[in-house]
Amino acid sequence: MTLLVADLRAFVAAVRKELRQVRRYPTLLLSILFWPVLLPTAWVLMGRAYSGNDPQALAAFAQRAGSPQVAGFVFVGYAMYMWLSTLLWGPGTALRTEQVRGSLEAVFLTPASRLVPLFGPGAANILPASLNFVVMGVALWLLFGFVPTFQATLWTLVIIVLGVPAMYAIGALFAASVLRFGEVGPVVQLVRGIFVLACGITFPVAMLPGWAQVSAWLLPPTYIVEDIRRVLLQGAGPADVTEHVILVLAMAVITAAAAAMVFRALETSARRTGMLSRF
Amino acid sequence: MIGDVRAALAIARKDIRNLSRYRIAVASMAFTPLYQFVIPAFLFGAAFAVNGRAAGLTATLGTDDLTGFIFLGGVVAGIVSTAFWGMAMSIRNEMDMGTLEPSWLTPTSHEMFVIGRAIGGMLFLILTQAALFLFGILFMGLRLRPEMLLALPAVLLALLSMVGIVYLLAGIVLLIREANFFIDTANFLFVTISGVSFPVTLLPGVLQPIALALPTTYAVDILRVQALGARPLFGVGIEYGLLVAGTAIAYPLGRWAFARAERTMRRRGMLSQY
Repeated sequence: MTLLVADLRAFVAAVRKELRQVRRYPTLLLSILFWPVLLPTAWVLMGRAYSGNDPQALAAFAQRAGSPQVAGFVFVGYAMYMWLSTLLWGPGTALRTEQVRGSLEAVFLTPASRLVPLFGPGAANILPASLNFVVMGVALWLLFGFVPTFQATLWTLVIIVLGVPAMYAIGALFAASVLRFGEVGPVVQLVRGIFVLACGITFPVAMLPGWAQVSAWLLPPTYIVEDIRRVLLQGAGPADVTEHVILVLAMAVITAAAAAMVFRALETSARRTGMLSRF
Repeated sequence: MIGDVRAALAIARKDIRNLSRYRIAVASMAFTPLYQFVIPAFLFGAAFAVNGRAAGLTATLGTDDLTGFIFLGGVVAGIVSTAFWGMAMSIRNEMDMGTLEPSWLTPTSHEMFVIGRAIGGMLFLILTQAALFLFGILFMGLRLRPEMLLALPAVLLALLSMVGIVYLLAGIVLLIREANFFIDTANFLFVTISGVSFPVTLLPGVLQPIALALPTTYAVDILRVQALGARPLFGVGIEYGLLVAGTAIAYPLGRWAFARAERTMRRRGMLSQY
């Protein structure tokens, strides 16, 4: 068996292990039905309070958000929020969880590539993250009567799939970086907070001050959210989002390389200091 | 009685000391509401502004003070969150750490464990709200008016009613296994249905009777009426009456539920299970 095939088998095993753990805690699945529906619904109702059904207020929103569809705008933003949440709390803390359990050292002693524990949990996270999208799509249809065209749905799926490498590269970079922190919970909150504020999740990016808008366009989720909104709410086609998609893929390569470098540096440092078994 | 008061103060001191050791966690008590609610809600609301005025909010509530609307809702959200996480859930945390059984074997009355946590939680609530209000004044144009003080009795009544609800919640979280998910979702629903982020009149019809049964709904409304001149649901006098009635019901109901849960746990030997 070649080294690559062996690493692939280890990768599949890592994914299966993560999925098995999800299956063992079925109550966690309840949160996939609860949060993706109620969180954005509350924000849509907030939108109704802020608009007061005033045509001028709604027109002002449409001008800033690029679409008068408040419910669609909020649900797309929250789809990204849920994706980031499952990413940061799941794969983002996976290495730290292994460290706390005392099993990270044992994983590192296996001959499998270090990329397996770094990227394996992210691959396993694709399934629960996809469920979030499905639940939110159904909720948007049933609660607010929003039904996108088949073509728009198809292009949305393409954007999501092409955004996967960038999102999981962010997860891997975060996972490698937080190994140094004792308490990861507040760090997850902080990082998620930065994404929520910068990426136009609940409000249009145009509402941010100029410097924050520049920072927002350095983050892949901003492009993914923007492109999904353009395709779903404004009827944009693939040609309109190609430039963004290429940018997101380039960012994925850079972020994944950064994650691997951070992980390598951390491993070198861990060998010297013996910090792998600390928790 | 004096012994119980001393025990409650000792519990409050212990909670304050415990939390103070986790500085990032303390900082996130102010940061999390900022990023999760205050700033996004402000920018979302500002996206509907016409010529710099929240005309839509005026149509809904009778006030265009978007910042005040968000921050005053945040006060009641803070009270509810402290009650759910800092008081009810902390009893469960004690159970998970295995220290609930020895605590309950002391001669202190068990109700004091809730009261002690309420005192400790209130201190952090006041500090967090002060930090949030300071941020609002410095960066978001929040204006405080002296009329706000007229709503102070409503806030105090809401606090008292939440102690009753904490007893009820503490009884539930001691009996169920997935307390974390329960508290998280119940907290969100309680805050949302109370009208913290939007008026309860916008809730679906089936949820409106529940909203009108919650004392916090009236506390939020009175606070906004007194401080912002918003349109009240029923009139301040009626709302005060309903708030007092809600508090009067919540407290004995919570005590009764807590006593029932305690008896069940004694019978089943659940105190040391986790």
